[in-house]
Amino acid sequence: MADETSNTEPTLVERWLEEQREWQKTTLAYLDSIVRDEEFLTHLGNAMRGSLLAGKPYPAPVPPAASAPESDFADRLDQVLFAVRELQGQVADLRMTLDEIRAEQGKSGTDAEPAADASDEGDASDRAQRPDRMQRVDR
Amino acid sequence: MTLPVDDRELESLIELSRRSRARLERLHEVLTSPGHYGAGATQAQVVYAENKLRLLRLLDDDGQPQNGPPVLFIPAPVSRYFILDLMPGRSFAGYVAAAGFDVYIADFGVPTREDRFCDLAYYVDGLIRRSVRAIRRTSGAAEVSIVGYCLGGMLALLYSALNPGTVSRLALLTTMVDGDVEGGIAWIAHRMGLAGESYEQPRLVSAIEIKSWFEMLAPGSNSLIGRVSDLWDRLDDPPERLRDVRTMASWVDDVVPAPGRLLAEMHRQFGPGRNGLMKGEAAVGSRKVDIGNVTMPVLSVSAARDTISPPEGVDAIGSIVPQAEIVRLRGGHVGIVAGRAAAGLWPRVVDFLGSGNGSGTDNGNGSGDGNGTGNGNGSGTGNDSGTGNAAPERGDV
Repeated sequence: MADETSNTEPTLVERWLEEQREWQKTTLAYLDSIVRDEEFLTHLGNAMRGSLLAGKPYPAPVPPAASAPESDFADRLDQVLFAVRELQGQVADLRMTLDEIRAEQGKSGTDAEPAADASDEGDASDRAQRPDRMQRVDR
Repeated sequence: MTLPVDDRELESLIELSRRSRARLERLHEVLTSPGHYGAGATQAQVVYAENKLRLLRLLDDDGQPQNGPPVLFIPAPVSRYFILDLMPGRSFAGYVAAAGFDVYIADFGVPTREDRFCDLAYYVDGLIRRSVRAIRRTSGAAEVSIVGYCLGGMLALLYSALNPGTVSRLALLTTMVDGDVEGGIAWIAHRMGLAGESYEQPRLVSAIEIKSWFEMLAPGSNSLIGRVSDLWDRLDDPPERLRDVRTMASWVDDVVPAPGRLLAEMHRQFGPGRNGLMKGEAAVGSRKVDIGNVTMPVLSVSAARDTISPPEGVDAIGSIVPQAEIVRLRGGHVGIVAGRAAAGLWPRVVDFLGSGNGSGTDNGNGSGDGNGTGNGNGSGTGNDSGTGNAAPERGDV
């Protein structure tokens, strides 16, 4: 004999209550993730701004000091730092040239290695001395 | 006491509640699942580094570089590089590498405040020139093919004009050369005040400001309400599809700040009303650029639905580089490199890079069709989840 209650559809009220229990589970899952994973809150914040951007907060306005120097001192420091970056590139040019010279010397033959020929790009040491790259620092 | 709602209303309320809950559960699933976000998909090694630049050389599954001719990918320095190497199975650079080319990608990194002084010469005659030099040294090849995307294409074109002997083939993707064509990001930036950007006292132009220019291309579509509403609707999609959307969103929404000096110089030379490239008046530092030096084979690809680089402004290269092969694909700015329309681009570029040197590939003939995707928030990805970097098919999204 079949059990009548097992075939009975849940009433609307029962379904509503069940739905509320499911909402509690969903809410708890979110709370659990917030507690467990700091990044989750960032991701959730992004989602609340309509973005699934992962790993970092959605771009926000930055304070002026972050994009422009707040003082003449900071501005000059930035210029010095940038000049160091430029020097870094010029030193890299010189090192590549030295590596190429070394590689050419190491060859037993006299045929030039095309990749080692920097002549079509200008001489590296000449670039390193080019004044126009440095003048901006002094402005 | 009677219930305020009848059965039918309660039924619909329960259904509404269930659907909303299902969407939030799906969102939770997506937000908590690991994925490939914010970095290139393909294994790579850094072969040269300078300031924020990393020159990446792609490696195969065994950790070895390919033996084919070298190819350098140059992305736009105002966005993250990994759009060219988005995710396993959807990597343009990975696809080219899988065809046998020795692929390098310039990752310009994220500029900080002192980098606001970086100008055109710093990028073209500095970072790119030394990157090419490093590639020639690493690969032993005398010449390097270059694939430039968007603003990266402009840098590649200028570099090629100054150093034609080092470039074997040049592919320019959605690279706008005619600054007088209305519309597009350069025009919007001009309208939004880029004309006032100072070369002498540059700012680091914030990511949010640059993002606002892109959003102005489709006013209203990226409003907070619009974005949230769009995401809410998308939460009905399968989780794997949402993970793809998330990968793309992690590129679209991760705009980087830009050196004000570079933008000021670009605007001063190539912007609306100046149009120095078309007029033959371009210069990099103290060196005048003669576009006539660009005698190597050139492929220029525009996207019919590109709102960032209007196709008319891209195709105009035909009047200054007569030998350029000009192709217009259906699709959007992002879609042709990483979305559905990539099916039309990737094989065509591989064919172009491979022609003339016997390397490369049997990857089809690039039919130039495909339905592109938009440029906006969280758009434009497919669910091609394979790992072999096969060009995505039109129907796979």
